[in-house]
Amino acid sequence: MSRLDINIRRLQAQRACLNLAAEYIGDLPGPVFELGLGNGRTYDHLREILPDREIFVFDREVAAHPDCIPDPAHLFLGDFQETLRRACARFAGTVALIHADVGSANAARDARLAAVIAGFLPALLRPCGVALSDRDVAFAGAEPVPAPASVAPQVYFLYRREAACEAAAPRAGTAGRG
Amino acid sequence: MRSRRAARRHRRARVSRLDSLIRRLQAQRACLVHAARLIGGVPGPIFEIGLGNGRTYDHLRALCPAREIFVFERRAPDEPGLGPGGRHLVLGDIRETVPAAASAAAARPALVHSDIGSGDSAGNARLAAALAGFLPGLLAPGGIALSDLALPGAGDWALPPPAGVAAGRYFLYRRP
Repeated sequence: MSRLDINIRRLQAQRACLNLAAEYIGDLPGPVFELGLGNGRTYDHLREILPDREIFVFDREVAAHPDCIPDPAHLFLGDFQETLRRACARFAGTVALIHADVGSANAARDARLAAVIAGFLPALLRPCGVALSDRDVAFAGAEPVPAPASVAPQVYFLYRREAACEAAAPRAGTAGRG
Repeated sequence: MRSRRAARRHRRARVSRLDSLIRRLQAQRACLVHAARLIGGVPGPIFEIGLGNGRTYDHLRALCPAREIFVFERRAPDEPGLGPGGRHLVLGDIRETVPAAASAAAARPALVHSDIGSGDSAGNARLAAALAGFLPGLLAPGGIALSDLALPGAGDWALPPPAGVAAGRYFLYRRP
């Protein structure tokens, strides 16, 4: 596998996981959080596959393609610890999907960031809400949900917040659709 | 309500930036594989114009392990290890370094891969005109030029892209 092959595989896995996460949340109400805007590619994909959702973006700074920058009302700029704390006050228990693209070449930094994010997930996600990340963001009350079959293990991590979920649609993969 | 659904369907037809990057990289890989096959019987090194993040260099190395690969860059890459070192990394203005490297008959490249276009269309037009001025002529007989920019004036040598690659995404030329 060349580095070109690896990059293509990584992007295909990312797309497959985003598409599956969008299916998992189905008609579950609530906004989407994109943690890490980067160049805006996954933000652009999320708004294409979830055209009726509000998407809030969190990042330290904006370095995205001009077409992929959300309006100021949907942008939380600053340290995740601070911006997610602020978001909790407004969105606690309502968020349907949180996508966190945190991976870098610095494993120690990534692990710290994943732990910060995981700490906020139980408070932010609505029951049956889904978290998707390229680093493990396991959190209290998280139920792992399968990644797409085409995606190698430990490349992407998908979790669903348990709780009321069980009664509504036990483990069917269609939770929250009524 | 119906019009809103129709609008949603219409919007969903748009290709996201993630989709289009995947398509571009798949097309790039398909063209590299195709070009490597086409030069099977053609002696000569490979010229990679523009190292970027070194991904296509790495792919060419995997496809053609027995070929010498020369990379041409304006300046030394920030991150060492992405490409070759020593005499296989040629620094400077490609309008000078590339023709100089191909000046001896034995050094004529069997394949030149050039991926140097950007979002700046005026800049791309200048680059393409510069490349067209020297690139096709320095190929070994039967050699291939693969470029992300169309080379004006080289249309007689143009080949169709491989199956699955949309016309206009990559440009292939073969020296007779």
